[in-house]
Order: sequence, then structure tokens, then C-alpha cells
Amino acid sequence: MSPIISAAALRELIDVWIKSGKQVAAPVSIAGRLLYQRIDSSGQAVLDSALRPANSIKDFVFPRHERLFGYRIEGRQISLTDPKPEERDQIVIGAKPCDAHALPILDHVFAWGSNDEPYERGRRRTAIVALACTAHDDACFCTSVGSSPADETGADAMLFDLGNGSFELKAITAKGRTLFTQHAQPPATEPRPSGSAPAPRFDPAKIRAFLATQFESPFWAEGTLACLGCGACAYTCPTCHCFDIVDEGSAAEGARVRNWDSCQFPLFTAHASGHNPRSNQAQRQRQRMYHKFAIYPEKFGAILCTGCGNCARNCPAGLGVLGVLEAIDRQTIKTDERQPVQT
Amino acid sequence: MITRLRETCRRLLDQNKVQVVIGYGQRRPGAAAHPVFITRPEDVGQLTWGGNCFANLTVYLKRKEVKALGKAALVVKGCDERALVVLEKEAQVERGDLYVIGMACDGVHAPKCSACVVRTPRFADELIGEAGSAPGAASPAAPDLLDVLMAKPAAERWAFWKSEFSRCVKCYACRQVCPLCYCERCIVDKNRPVTIDTSASLKGNFAWHITRAFHLAARCVGCGECTRACPAGIPVGLLNRSLADTAKGNFGYAAGMDPAAEPVFGAWSSSDKEDFIR
Amino acid sequence: MSEAFEPKIVAYVCNWCTYLGADLAGTNRLEYPPNVRVLRLPCTGRIDFNLIVKAFEAGADAVLVSGCHPADCHYTSGNYHARRRWIVFRRLLETLGFEMERIHFTWISAAEGKKWQQVVTEITEKTRRLGPYTAYRDLCEAHQ
Repeated sequence: MSPIISAAALRELIDVWIKSGKQVAAPVSIAGRLLYQRIDSSGQAVLDSALRPANSIKDFVFPRHERLFGYRIEGRQISLTDPKPEERDQIVIGAKPCDAHALPILDHVFAWGSNDEPYERGRRRTAIVALACTAHDDACFCTSVGSSPADETGADAMLFDLGNGSFELKAITAKGRTLFTQHAQPPATEPRPSGSAPAPRFDPAKIRAFLATQFESPFWAEGTLACLGCGACAYTCPTCHCFDIVDEGSAAEGARVRNWDSCQFPLFTAHASGHNPRSNQAQRQRQRMYHKFAIYPEKFGAILCTGCGNCARNCPAGLGVLGVLEAIDRQTIKTDERQPVQT
Repeated sequence: MITRLRETCRRLLDQNKVQVVIGYGQRRPGAAAHPVFITRPEDVGQLTWGGNCFANLTVYLKRKEVKALGKAALVVKGCDERALVVLEKEAQVERGDLYVIGMACDGVHAPKCSACVVRTPRFADELIGEAGSAPGAASPAAPDLLDVLMAKPAAERWAFWKSEFSRCVKCYACRQVCPLCYCERCIVDKNRPVTIDTSASLKGNFAWHITRAFHLAARCVGCGECTRACPAGIPVGLLNRSLADTAKGNFGYAAGMDPAAEPVFGAWSSSDKEDFIR
Repeated sequence: MSEAFEPKIVAYVCNWCTYLGADLAGTNRLEYPPNVRVLRLPCTGRIDFNLIVKAFEAGADAVLVSGCHPADCHYTSGNYHARRRWIVFRRLLETLGFEMERIHFTWISAAEGKKWQQVVTEITEKTRRLGPYTAYRDLCEAHQ
């Protein structure tokens, strides 16, 4: 049986991590909602197995805004400066399994072709201590994409809420073991209570079959009308990773930076020529579904979605990726027949 | 009210008076209502109405995908309808091209509801329901955050906004959900040259929110969608409300109330105060 | 020994009144501190609020906006539009917690060389006492 750790001991340990100079992030209660943020004391951490933050943990390994290099121009001299990389160890504590599970999925694309150094540095210096879920809401759908409330993939250690002020602690990787070795832990004596897993929201096979044959379907235009083209879904999604590289600064000095980008923005695919191959929302929504549920699985063997539900919770129009998936699931098109290509 | 709403929409679609009804739907009991686009009379059963109809559906009038469907019937609350008044003033909608279905509203449990003066839409082609005489269903009374903020010293306000904007990820949900943000190319997307940093840095976030607030100054109708849409919980609507208060106090102007009123920035007056000008 | 703080003042001035007024100060050899950087625009009506923000982003410690008196605008009503804009923009800056003592608006005509001298001198000394506008500068350097 795995050892147990009391909530008080866990908070003490978090404070030890912080005092020793590590960066620590956890769910924090702010502005009436739960958000993952860096903390400077354990009292800020909300370690509740029933609640899910409205953002994701990707910001800690793949920042929303990251400086790639600086430039300075003096006369005809151009000098480039590399940013000082962040070397401190980082721990994300209280990560939901659907957030932890996303990181190994993202690893594929950031190592595809060439290695993304900033991302890999972020991954190397970060340990994820996940907290298994004991409840879900009506936007959760991890079980529909092959995951579960206690999925250990991507976690270095996992906490299970015993409901009595203690957690069962399971170290999964060497990184996870190192985090907790100093702590003396009595073994667990009770089996952990099981939380309820969300019922399936759609049939993944039906989604695959639909995507395989319905590229030209009028569904894409009709089913996505509510989408307003913002980035709330993409930016709170644990697996969305598209980015934009821009130069910022003056003629004298500045930096080349990498920022998150959303495939739902109207200008996401705008070319310098003025042409935009995805100039309407239907095309953009379609592309996103294919990316997550057809192309990424084909390329890397993993669905680019962990069923966290943030997209649906944060969508101002109540849509999100989940909304489109459910709409596809409701279609009664014979998915073995191709729709005629519109000319 | 729901029955009458559905019958009205069935009739409009049957007679081809409109090609699409933009209204509220609800897939699961207890969930928030969400926008639906009904193009067939047999689908009007999807339409709903109630205290969970938060969205301001006038935002869809700026969407080219929706415009392409043809003449629309639009379900509006009184607060949403104010946006229509501004849009018409700014020549963004041809009122005759729209069939407005006004829903008398007893509130959607939002802070804006406690101060609502437009519970019955005023310019609808068809008005459904009667607003009750009871106060609008509002959130429990809380101290007005704007009042609290303005009572603090400037340095504390600065610290507040710095803390709030540190959470902004530049998702632009606040922009996309606003009916009055209808520019085909927003200034923040301009990159030859860059005017406003797109980065979600403090500099970029301040620059964006300053711009958004000022471009909406005396045009924002206070529907509150921007604050509701923000995934980071930033009270972006506070800036808009502060400027709306200034417009009211200095120029007697409230966006979307009087269709005949002169917009604040198209006009000027020799009696505009200049006590701050040396 | 550290250098004494020299404030950077950015002045957006209209071509027809304040710029000529500043020029008159020059031809009359009226001395004033060299801290002001003058940016000439056709009219205060052309001033976009973002210009004021950008001045602070670039490191200004104070910003002055100056143009023709009401009824004297070379383009008839540019300054009236500007005045209305400033009323609302000041409120935005106040709401955000900007240091309002660092933002100044004046009407200075082409004949008011003396006023230009006085205004610039006073703003420079006031800003010197206030110190550098570190709050805004910290914001811009935060992402470095």
C-alpha cells in the first residue's frame, strides 16, 4: 500500500520547497474562480479533489509569452542576446490528471523534427504532483477520450484524497520519489474512496468515422455558428499549443518572442499576401477538430485532448470543443458515405 | 412566454419572413442557455427563455457567417437591445433588415440587473411578456467594486489593475463577445507597424485594455458580457462602466438609451469643462 | 556618486499654436529646461490617446499635450474634439491608477512664448520632485 500524508504535512513540505528556492504552482482561489498560479506560501494552495481550475498547467512549461532572444542595433552593428534561461526546479502541486496527462501528449510535437529547447527545459525542470479527482461536473469528459479521474500518465507523483484530511501518496517516477523521500510516511491502511467517473459524452469511434468522411459536410458551417472566434478555449486547453513568433521593440532594441495563438482567431492563417485559406469560422472549427481527433492521433498516436472540459466551461457561447463533439455525435449522417465535394 | 416565442418564430420561418432565428437554447436542464440558430420551422422547439439567458445575441449581427444566412429574427432582452440602438446609429445594421423579438425580463441574476431600467425592450417588432413589478433578479447586493476602487489612492488602483492584468492571456474573449467591437481588423492585429503588443505581458495587456476601454468609451451599453466571458475572471467591464459614468456625468449621454442622442465623440460643445486644462 | 535625476518630458503640441509659441520663446531667448522633447502634430485633434500611452511606454516621466485655445483652432474645431476626448481619457487613466500629476493639458497660443516657458519650467520642476515614473517603466520591463 502507498504511504499517506496529512494535509498539514503536505503544506509544510510545500513551504520547504518554496523556501529552498523552487518555483511552486498550485490551484489558487482568485476572483471567484480557481486558477493555477505560482504561489509563495502553501496557504494559497487549494488542494480540493472535487474542483477543477479554469486554466491549465501548460503555462508553466510552455509560457503564454516567452522571450526567445533580444536584439540591439547600434549603427550597422546588430547584437543578439540569449535570454538567461530559468534553471530553478519547479513543482506543480494539485494538478488535475487531465492536466498532467496533457504533457506527454505535447511532448511529441515539441520533439518532432527538431527539439524545442525552451519547452524541453521547462519539462526537465518541472515535477507534476497530480491530485486524483473525486467528483466531476457536466463539462468533464476524460472518460470519452481514453482517460480517467485517476489517470497517472504524466504525473511524477499522485495524491488521492482520503476525505479525512489526508492523502494517499503514490510516487510514480524518480522525480516524484525524490520530492517526497525526506518525508516519513506511515503506510495507508484504508482503501481510498473511489470518485465517480464522468459518463461517456460521445462515442470516439463515431467521431473518427465522421472525420474520415465528412470533410465537406454542411455540418461544419451549421454546427459552429455560435463560435465567436476568440481564444478562450485554446488558451485554457491543456493540449492546445499553437504559437506565434513576433518581434517586439523599437528600431534600436527589442526581442523576438513566442506567444500563444488560437486557431480560431480570424487572422490565424492570414498570409502576408492577404490570402487567408481559413477565412471563415467553419473552416477554422473544422481544422481544429481534425487536428485534435484525426491528424495528431495519426501522427503521434495520441488524441490532442484530455477531456478536461475547460473549453466548454470557458466558451462565452457555451460551445467549446466538447460542444462540437457532441454535435457531431448527434449527426445521423451515414458515416461510411462521403458527402459530395462542393464545387 | 416560451410557447409564444416558439409560435412566433415558427410563423416567421414558415412564411419566410426571416431565414434564421437567433435565440437561446438549452440542451440540459439547469445548464446556462446558449445561442441557437434556427433555420427550419420544425426546430423552434429548441428555443427557450428564462433567467439563464445571459448572452447578448446582438453580437451575432457582426458575424459574416450569420449575415450570410439571410434576414434574421433576433431575441433580445432590454439590455441587449441597447446595443442595437448604437449599432443602428453607427450604420452597422439596417433596422428594416432585422425582426426584433423583445423579451420582457425579470433579470438573469447578474449584478447589472439590480440597476436595470430597460426590463421591457422598447423598440421590438414583437414584444413578448410583461416585466414583473418585483425588483429584477439580481445577485445579492455587494459593495460596488468601482466605487470601492475609486475611493482608494491611485497607487492602490494601479496595483489592483497590475494584479488583474497579470492574469490576462490575450484570448480576446472580451473583444469577440462585444457587439460593439465589430472592426474587421482590430487595431491590436495591426502589424505594419505594430501599434499594440500582442504579447500577454504586462505592457501588452495594459496597452490592450486601455485601447479596448477607450474605443468603447460612450459606446458600451453595459451588457456585462465582457466580464462574463473573461476566462481569467478579470472585471474588464469596470473600465467600461467608469467611462460610461463619465459620459453620463459630463455629457448626459448613455449609450443605447435615446436613438436621437448625439454620440459623445462625434460632437463637441463649447461648454465642455476644461478645469483640467491650463 | 549617482547622477541627479533628469526628467524626460514628452510634449505633443499642435503646429499652429503651441509649436509657434515655443518658437517665439526661442526667438525671444527665454530660457527653459532642456528636458522637454517636442513632438509636432498638425492639431491636438489628431492626438490619439495611444500616443500618450506610448510616451510612457518609451520612458517619459511626464507628458504635456498642448494646442490652440478654444475658438482659435486652425482647423476650426480640432481642439474641441480633443478636449472632449481628454475629459474621457483622463477618467480612464484615473480609473487605472495612473499618476495624474504627470499628465498635463494646456492651451498655448502662438503669441504665448512666455506661457510656454513657464509651463515647461514648472512641469520639469514638478516632475523632478515626483521622480522617475518607475511604475510604468517597471510594467514595460517586466517581461524582459
